[in-house]
Amino acid sequence: MMDKKKVYSFWFLMPALIIFTVFFLIPTVSSLYFSMTVWDINGARFCGLDNFKMFFQEDSLSIGIRNTMIYAVLTSVLKLIPAFFLAVLLTSRIKTKNILRSVLFFPSLLSLIAIGIMFKAMLHPSKGIINQALSVIGLGGTDWLGNTKTALGTVIVVSLWEGLCIATMMFIAGIQAIDANYYEAADIDGASWWQKLRYITMPLTKSARNSIIILAFIDGVRSFELIWAMTGGGPGFATDVLSSIVYKQYAAGYYGLSTAGNVIMLILISCLAYPLQSWLLKREEESM
Amino acid sequence: MKKKLMSVIIMAAMIITLTACGAGGGTDSSSAGEDEEVTLTLMVDSDETLDGLEAVCEKAKEAVGINVELDVYTAGSDGDNLVKTRLASGDMADLCVWSDSKFKSVGPEKYFIDLSDTDIPDKLDDTYKNAVTYEDGVYGIPLGTSMCGAVLYNREMYEKYNLEVPKTWDEFLENCRVLDEAGETAVLGTFADSWTAQVLFLGDYYNVHAEEPEFAEDYEAGKVKFANTPAATRSFQKFEDLTDFYNDDYMATIYDDGCEIMANGGAGHWIMLTQALSNIYSLYDKETVDKIGVFGIPGDDPDNQGITVWTPSTIFGNKNSDKQEDIIRFMEFYISEEGLDAYSSAQMADGPFLVKGYEGAEDGYKAVKEDMQAYFDAGKTEVDMQSQVQVVGSDLPAICVEVATGQISGQEAAEKYDADCYKAAVQLGLDWAE
Repeated sequence: MMDKKKVYSFWFLMPALIIFTVFFLIPTVSSLYFSMTVWDINGARFCGLDNFKMFFQEDSLSIGIRNTMIYAVLTSVLKLIPAFFLAVLLTSRIKTKNILRSVLFFPSLLSLIAIGIMFKAMLHPSKGIINQALSVIGLGGTDWLGNTKTALGTVIVVSLWEGLCIATMMFIAGIQAIDANYYEAADIDGASWWQKLRYITMPLTKSARNSIIILAFIDGVRSFELIWAMTGGGPGFATDVLSSIVYKQYAAGYYGLSTAGNVIMLILISCLAYPLQSWLLKREEESM
Repeated sequence: MKKKLMSVIIMAAMIITLTACGAGGGTDSSSAGEDEEVTLTLMVDSDETLDGLEAVCEKAKEAVGINVELDVYTAGSDGDNLVKTRLASGDMADLCVWSDSKFKSVGPEKYFIDLSDTDIPDKLDDTYKNAVTYEDGVYGIPLGTSMCGAVLYNREMYEKYNLEVPKTWDEFLENCRVLDEAGETAVLGTFADSWTAQVLFLGDYYNVHAEEPEFAEDYEAGKVKFANTPAATRSFQKFEDLTDFYNDDYMATIYDDGCEIMANGGAGHWIMLTQALSNIYSLYDKETVDKIGVFGIPGDDPDNQGITVWTPSTIFGNKNSDKQEDIIRFMEFYISEEGLDAYSSAQMADGPFLVKGYEGAEDGYKAVKEDMQAYFDAGKTEVDMQSQVQVVGSDLPAICVEVATGQISGQEAAEKYDADCYKAAVQLGLDWAE
């Protein structure tokens, strides 16, 4: 009986296993090989670890790593607080709750490239709506994306706008999963609105918060579309992140070199995301 | 088989990185005789002025029975990426407009039709022929006329402020200072299209060549670097001098905006390819274009002023198309008297034609017929370095923007570009010492 059950479940696994092997395992393993070649559209010749050496010598790499970290940390952390309070608002008893939720969710329906192009037009220093609005209230805007000091920050703000909705949705799900008994008990004890928020809602949405951080952080480390659409890594190399460096090498036809960059990124993301997740999980368990 | 596998892998990678990859519509029509109409597809990038090309295609329909469908692809590095991918995946259109400085890097003998067995090479201008020759094959025909990378200037402003065409770089800066103090935009920057930033650097090659005639050859051989050749480093340092003179929104202004601004007299100088003249012409009229003058990027020697000439984009034929004969027939027609007449009826020349024995129409922009022709008559021209060498660094636009915005010095930019070219040399399998 036991044996039969085993065979059964194995065959059920096959479709998923085949898809995983063909589309994930084989490309990952072959990319390890291609990262050690000089590869163009006509063929590849083996060159050992030269690509990795060259990738680490890349001038803009240090800018890229710094920007990637700034981008990943800020986009994952900064949206937590607004998202949490929006979620509290949208789970409270307000009448237009459903409409507001739809409105809030809207940005995530758009493609990041479209958002990037849209904001790029709005941020145009002389013709864009944002600077025109600022000049009405007497403030002079700068060339947000063309100034090396503001370019990365501007992209981060747009990314926050875009990422806020998903974070809020996750918080809403977390809040709705809280048993109403807790609140009832607190009411009986005469807890204030703030006390309920601080001692019930916040601790019990910890897992939602951790998921948001992890997902947003990984998204941030491999972010590409928004930066590419808004600045193309510029001015110069000022907003380059790891993935835009890899993309530019790929576009230039240095397939081997850019594959090496991808392998490095894979290792880097695993090295950062795995400890982060286990650290956050540990804290979650401790507080339970 | 190996190649197929490779192209499949590249395609898979493409799908992940490029979301919008326009699929080419290759219509399947069996090869037809002279009287039957054939349809060829032609890929062309979006920064070309298409009036001339469209006129030739129109004419080709009646004259040789070839109907050409244009497939416009995005310009810049995304466009190059698309061309390479479509070549590798066997999805290339019958004809493709691409740059003669890039086609050598893909191994043209596998992808493009070698024209050396036809009469076409004999008709091409020698400089141009060199630019489209790879090993023993000749691979393309010019899409348009030659052009120059130079300073376009506002004649009215020059008159108003009593300025003269500068003979040296210092005189040029002096002119900029006068315009700047008068509250005008002295130099127009259109760096939202970052390729436009390279024109100052590339257009300065005449001056590099004047001092170091062997530079391009030695560079290709890995013997000299931009950073250790003062004349070549100077090309990057010129950006430093201009940082204060640009328009405020130079990082948000694109090439098309630049054409508008120059047409409306909104800036004193624009360092640009003279193809912009045709762009302005197609937006406005000849009178507007004639308000713009041209001079070569000034060097330091007042007695040797020259101009850097660009070969135009090139039309290549797809070797793997089943309509090779029709493709060659179209190319022959394109550079025939009849074809070129059709071209010049729709679009005026940005410089001399590169087909032997073809003079072009009488009428032309003042900037071409007077300003540029003077350089050609005096023999003070040099072909852009990127057409002469295979090693072309891919980050040049970004490096130029970086130095133009004052983030790095000219010397650092030269070092960066050397490192960038080293990558290209490794990719090409050249033996460069680091």
